[in-house]
Amino acid sequence: MTIDGYTVSPLSFNGGDIGKLSVCGSANDLSVRGARPQYLALGVIAEEGLPIRELMTYMESAANVCRSLGIELVTGDSKVVPRGQVDGLFLSTCCIGRTTQTTPLGAANLRPGDSIILSCPPGMHGATIAAHRYGLKVRGLSSDCAALWPMIEPLLPVPGLRCMRDCTRGGLGTVLCEWSEAAGLGIEIDEEMIPWDEATLSVCDILGFDPLHMAGEGCAAIAVSGEDPDRALGLLRAHSLGERASVIGRVTEKHQGMVGIRTVSGGTRLVDRPVGELLPRIC
Amino acid sequence: MQVRRPDDMRERIRMLSGALRGLADRPVKVMEVCGTHTVSIFRQGLRALLPPDVELVSGPGCPVCVTSQGEIDAAVSLAGLSGTTVATYGDMLKVPGSGTTLEEERSRGADIRVVTSADQALSMARGDRKRNVVFVAVGFETTAPATASVVIDAVREDLDNFMVLNLHKSVPPALEALASDPEVKLDALLLPGHVSVITGLEPYRFLPEKYGIACAVAGFDAEDIMLALVEVTKQVRKQEPLVASLYGRAVRPLGNTEARSVMEKVFTMKDASWRGLGVIPSSGYSLREEFSRLDVLERLGMTVNSTLPPEGCMCGEVLKGLIDPPSCGLFGASCTPVHPVGPCMVSTEGSCAAFYRFQRGRRTDWEHLP
Repeated sequence: MTIDGYTVSPLSFNGGDIGKLSVCGSANDLSVRGARPQYLALGVIAEEGLPIRELMTYMESAANVCRSLGIELVTGDSKVVPRGQVDGLFLSTCCIGRTTQTTPLGAANLRPGDSIILSCPPGMHGATIAAHRYGLKVRGLSSDCAALWPMIEPLLPVPGLRCMRDCTRGGLGTVLCEWSEAAGLGIEIDEEMIPWDEATLSVCDILGFDPLHMAGEGCAAIAVSGEDPDRALGLLRAHSLGERASVIGRVTEKHQGMVGIRTVSGGTRLVDRPVGELLPRIC
Repeated sequence: MQVRRPDDMRERIRMLSGALRGLADRPVKVMEVCGTHTVSIFRQGLRALLPPDVELVSGPGCPVCVTSQGEIDAAVSLAGLSGTTVATYGDMLKVPGSGTTLEEERSRGADIRVVTSADQALSMARGDRKRNVVFVAVGFETTAPATASVVIDAVREDLDNFMVLNLHKSVPPALEALASDPEVKLDALLLPGHVSVITGLEPYRFLPEKYGIACAVAGFDAEDIMLALVEVTKQVRKQEPLVASLYGRAVRPLGNTEARSVMEKVFTMKDASWRGLGVIPSSGYSLREEFSRLDVLERLGMTVNSTLPPEGCMCGEVLKGLIDPPSCGLFGASCTPVHPVGPCMVSTEGSCAAFYRFQRGRRTDWEHLP
């Protein structure tokens, strides 16, 4: 079971809207733990004055994701609050799923030599929202907001599957830092192997953000035994969400609790996690 | 910063690193002036590729880092005025004044909004004529022209609810202060790319001519930076210092004359206080008399207090390139990005933050990476 709140601004963005996000987000949290999302509770807090038609668009988006995944909406609640008390619309979803994994997926399963796979370009959702918030128009920029279950389900029987995470708030960098700390192992990645999205990089470049800190909403980091990353990679690439999946690094015994990256220039540095709100730089 | 990635990037950087190794026949101390360079150097991991004789030190080119504590205090007290919106660049939110930060004040209910341009602040003033909007105008020649331009617009439109907390500073006088400081002893400077787009190359000529310092204006890609390092190392070796431009795709020798004429119309120079460097003559941009009614300090009769740096904080020495951040006693102990003491740890472009985030100090032992 998982619960999450959704407060995105703008409510509708290129690649999705708050309705789609609210179901994908919670469904993905379960999917990466190996559980098929099945039942959903939805809480709606709407600002007075939000047009009903607009609200219904978001509800329809949420319903579409439920239909596509076979999720039943079992209960819900709605409240309207005076103007100014929320920013248009806040949603919260609680999702229940079922897993058939005998060993729970998690960072404790990581072993030196394991391969780290990334399913798609990181940071696309965060870059899309940041571009909107700071008034940037970047061609080709779109959120990756998507339900991961159809891509992940075929992976579950793969022997050597260690753990998975959707790279949401804090981005890929944060996921890897958390894994290395939880497992007490090092992680090394190669920037050249990351399947970058050029529009996302442009936004980060302009605002001074690290793309490894930008959130995705349809992007998973997956750790598998180092002996056979190709099987997992093949299964991922067979799905449209994972067609750019790539092995981006490995787990090491050295550098326990830290993540290192070889940059596109061939230099090396640590990967950190962001501190607080990402704020654009001055120049 | 890291977008342009030709397929053979690693090979090109490896060759430049090799060239640098061959050229450096003596210790060369190079200061990268600009905070964006500092971050790019760390983010690309370039320090690990430099020969031991080439030492990189960070300079005073992070606008947040050189903003004095008293100036932050002034912004904070403006945010406390009723009917007032403070519009600021994002970097300023977390910088501690003597008591609090703009971010903390925002969480207490102050109307503080992040903007990415001066124009957005002016639009806020246009949108609600009943609210005062104070734009915290920070930065060097890069952002000063945009402030000058909105000041002209505000006067033309008679927007008397728009005011500016003008903290703009000029880079060349700060470089003169460093060059003439006998403690600092620089061999070379990587000059800031963005600032030079506006200033052109002329304002830097005194550096080689008067102080014998090798100079190169550099862009922000790894290759730009490595090429600039090769250039200045070559100049040092030949003992023929000059101002080379390696950022020709953006910097014209005479700079952006149009932007400078707007600045000239609005600003005059005054002495300014830089955090860590003290008062530098003629290094601050001040609004000319005909625009002074937009100066919030003047309008409200406020003054900026001078304050002492936090105890033990060595940001001043870091900004002059006298020590590297891990040499400060607070670094990584009581001063971290989560709990910063000094401005160089707060700003994403500060060198303390870069040393902490990308190397946890002086750590560069990742050579075995794939």
